[in-house]
Formats: sequence, structure tokens, C-alpha cells
Amino acid sequence: MSSLVSASRQPIIRFDHASFGFPGVIALKDLTLTIDAGEFVGVIGPNGSGKTTLCKAVLGLMAPLEGHLHIFDCACEELRCHHRAKIGYLPQKGVVDRNFPVTVLETVMMGRYGAMGLFKRPGAADRKIAMEALAHVGMEGHTDTALGHLSGGQQQRVFIARALAQQPQVLLLDEPTTGLDITTQHNVLELIEHLHQELGLTVLLVTHDINMIRARVDRLILLKTRLYAAGPPTDVLRPDILRDVYGKDLVITDNDLIIVEDYHHH
Amino acid sequence: MLDLLTYDFMQRSLLAAALVGGLCSLIGVFVVLRGLAFVGAGTAHAAFAGVALAYLMGWPPLLLAILFGLVTVWISGWVEEKGTMKLDVSIGILYTTTMALAILFIGLMKTYNAEVYGYLFGNVLSVTPEELRTIAGLSVVVVGSILLFSKELYSIAFDQEMAEASGVPARRMFFLLLTLVALTVVVSLKTVGAILVFAMVLIPASTAYQLTHSLSTLTWYSLIIGIVCSVAGVLFSALWDIPSGPAIVLLSTLVFFISIVLSPKRSRRPLLAN
Repeated sequence: MSSLVSASRQPIIRFDHASFGFPGVIALKDLTLTIDAGEFVGVIGPNGSGKTTLCKAVLGLMAPLEGHLHIFDCACEELRCHHRAKIGYLPQKGVVDRNFPVTVLETVMMGRYGAMGLFKRPGAADRKIAMEALAHVGMEGHTDTALGHLSGGQQQRVFIARALAQQPQVLLLDEPTTGLDITTQHNVLELIEHLHQELGLTVLLVTHDINMIRARVDRLILLKTRLYAAGPPTDVLRPDILRDVYGKDLVITDNDLIIVEDYHHH
Repeated sequence: MLDLLTYDFMQRSLLAAALVGGLCSLIGVFVVLRGLAFVGAGTAHAAFAGVALAYLMGWPPLLLAILFGLVTVWISGWVEEKGTMKLDVSIGILYTTTMALAILFIGLMKTYNAEVYGYLFGNVLSVTPEELRTIAGLSVVVVGSILLFSKELYSIAFDQEMAEASGVPARRMFFLLLTLVALTVVVSLKTVGAILVFAMVLIPASTAYQLTHSLSTLTWYSLIIGIVCSVAGVLFSALWDIPSGPAIVLLSTLVFFISIVLSPKRSRRPLLAN
């Protein structure tokens, strides 16, 4: 589960008392947090807790209202296109029109465009990188298939390949398993775990599904419009913390599943 | 029919139709995919208001059409970016306001001016050599920009936020696209008129959309459909003595309905991109 990188971890994303949102509406307040190279971090929290804001901040799309955010040692406000290309991003399902008239290879090639820069045409080397990315996710046999004809799980693999085609250092995944059946959810998470280990990628995985990721991540970040808790899953997933954040009677079962207590049977 | 082709005016009209048809269908790919159809329609009416003001004041119509068109698309883009108002509402207001201005400017003219109405309804058969040169010049600018930035434009059409996140200068590209839409509309105004120009932008790309799942194939199909329908429309217009704008648009619409019937997207069997 742990990544290969452990001894000499470099901080690559640093929040220093950073607040995000719009004037008058703070979505994430006073966040101080460091993410090191090679970490596998899960980001959890109820709806409206600031998870998507955290994603936008890490992508450099939202500058802090107060405090500082450094990505790759660069202040967020000064982030350039080539910095952004180092963060591979998988948006939430539903954000992208999955029936867009585009083939699998065209989708993955788009991952190269930012890294290539303006005025350059994609060449054989870019195609090779895209094909390698497709091979990493096991979709190399579908290059000419229409994106809209793939299953939900296959589409997620293609979008992960698109992110990999950027040759990123960080993989940022916003609820990658939402809307997938349970087997596919498992397969997608296995793929992410595999990429984390094989390519040494830093992974930030935003999810609602605590049970699915708790055994896979090095560290959990629990948000509730601020950093509520951060640390190894066992430290964060304590009944008292969960109850405080989710406001429900969450219980941890004998086999470590987190479920909502059923009032009718107690 | 071959006799027709020997006339200078006919050769000019066919060339103008091919240029405008190609230009509109090419920019149409990005307009359809990025969901800017209504923005373009609004721009056409704004550009017409510019033309009406130009004739009222004795200023150059093309310049004012470009100015009005650009200001409208940029305001539209800015409103979409801010997300403070629904885009269809803001465009709806701009659309009707600029049309009201156009009617006001025409009303203020002392005499009836047939040339202004030429911009409203279009007439490709009356394109002058000078207008043809302007169309060709602006076509080079628009097509050149599309070729230069095609990968970025495809990328923002697919998903602007994902494009920006992956390092594409998405915001600048979005405003470039809006600018190219405005220029295309202005270039085409004299040929098909403010009311019909947007059909030439939307229909070829929407027709191609029915026929393929590949971005590159879609672009080629749209271009071919746009040029063929425009040239054929002009020929029908001359042969049967009917207005050129409606001939082009109605022919394109017919091809669109045929494409819906033949669309592989409506068959049940899975298919590859082509």
C-alpha cells in the first residue's frame, strides 16, 4: 500500500494558513497542510466540506484569499502552464460530456496538449506517450473506439490515461468511483494503487467512499470547511471524529466497515 | 448551366460561397461542441446593428460590424465566465437589444437604403470583387488561427476546466474562439445575411456530428458539407432564380435531416470512430 518513496520525501504541495472561496463565502478556511512526493492521500468529508475547492486549489485554478499555497515550490498565483501539466486531473463524472464525438486515442492525446505548449503539433513521440498511457490502464486495444461507446469503468480508465499522458508527478482524482458498480469501483481503485506504486505518482484521491479507500491510502485528510483531521486512516476514522463531522451515528463494525447506525434495530 | 459559370459575377459568387461555407462550417465545429450556438446567433444581430449605424452615420459598415460583433461576443464570454447570470438570458437580452438598435438606426435614416437590407437577407450573387477580397482576407485570418490553435480549441471544446487544469491557456483560447466566431459572422453577413448566417455555422457541424465519433473526421465532414451545400445552393439560386441565402440554408437543412436518418449513432450496433 505504501509507495516506494519513503525515505527522502519532498513536499510538493504546501498550504500555509490558506483560505479559499469568494469574498464573503469561505469554502475552505485556514488550511495548513503539506503533501509530500510519493504519498497516497485520501481526501474525505461531507458534501460542501470543501473537497472540490481543495481540488481547484491544487490545480492552481483558485488562488487563496488569505495565506499561501505553494505547488512545486511555486506560489499558486505564479503557476504556469508547464506546472499545471505536472498535475494529472480526473474530474468528477458528469463534468465532461461523455458522448462528445471523440475517440479514445484523441481523448488521451488531449492530455499532451498542455505539456506540449502552443504552436506545436502532436508528433510520433506524443502518440507513443499516449499509447503507453493507454497500455498502463489496459485500454490499448480501444484506440479508435468512440468514447461514448465505452462502459463507465472503461471511460474512467481512458480519463486516467489522459491524465497519465501529461506525464504528471501528481494524480488528482475527484470521486473516480462514483456511479460505477462495486466490482468496477474496486478495479479502478486497484489501477490507481498500481499506478501509484509502479510510476511513483503522488495520488490525491477525493471520495465519499471511505470504506473503499481506507486500506489503500497512506494518509487521510478529513475536511469540514477546514482541516478537521489528517493522518493515518486509523487516527482519522475514530467514531467521535466521524460523528462530529458527519453528524450521524456512524459506527465502525467488527470488520472495520463504517456504516450509519440503524435506529430501527437498536 | 455551364453557361452560367462563364459569367464573372457567378464565378465570384461561387468562390464567395465556397469561402464562407468553408469558414462557417469550420468554426461551426467548435461552436457546436463548445455549446455557443446562441452566442453566435446574437453576434449576427449585433453585427447587423453595427452595419445599420454605419449606414446612418456614413461610416465603414465592415468596421462597425466587426466592432459590434466583437463587443457582443466578449460580453457574452465574460458573462459565461463569471457565471452570475445564465448565458441564454444574458445573450437573449443582448440579442434583442442590438436588434432594437438596428431597427432604431434604420428608422432614423431619411431614405430607404436597400444595401442595409442586403446585410439582413444577404445576396451572394451581388458580391463585388472588393467584398470578395475582404472575405478572402478575413478567411485567411480565421482559418490560420484555427490551424495554429486547433489542439487548444479542441481541448476547450471538450472541457474547458480540464483543458486549463492540464496546462492549456484555456481562458485565452475561449476568447480567441469567441473572436473568431464574431469575425466569421461578419465575413458571412453580406453573403447570407444576418438572419441566416448562423444556420451556416450550426448545420454542417451538427450534420457531421450525426455521422461520426471522431473529432478529426467530424471536422472534415463539416467542412465538406459546408462547402458543397453553399456552392450547390448558389447554383440552385441562379438556376431557379430564388434567393441565395434560403437556397443554401434549406439545402443544408435537407442534408441534416438525411444525416439524422442515416446516422450510425441511431443504429444499435456498436461502431468504431469512422
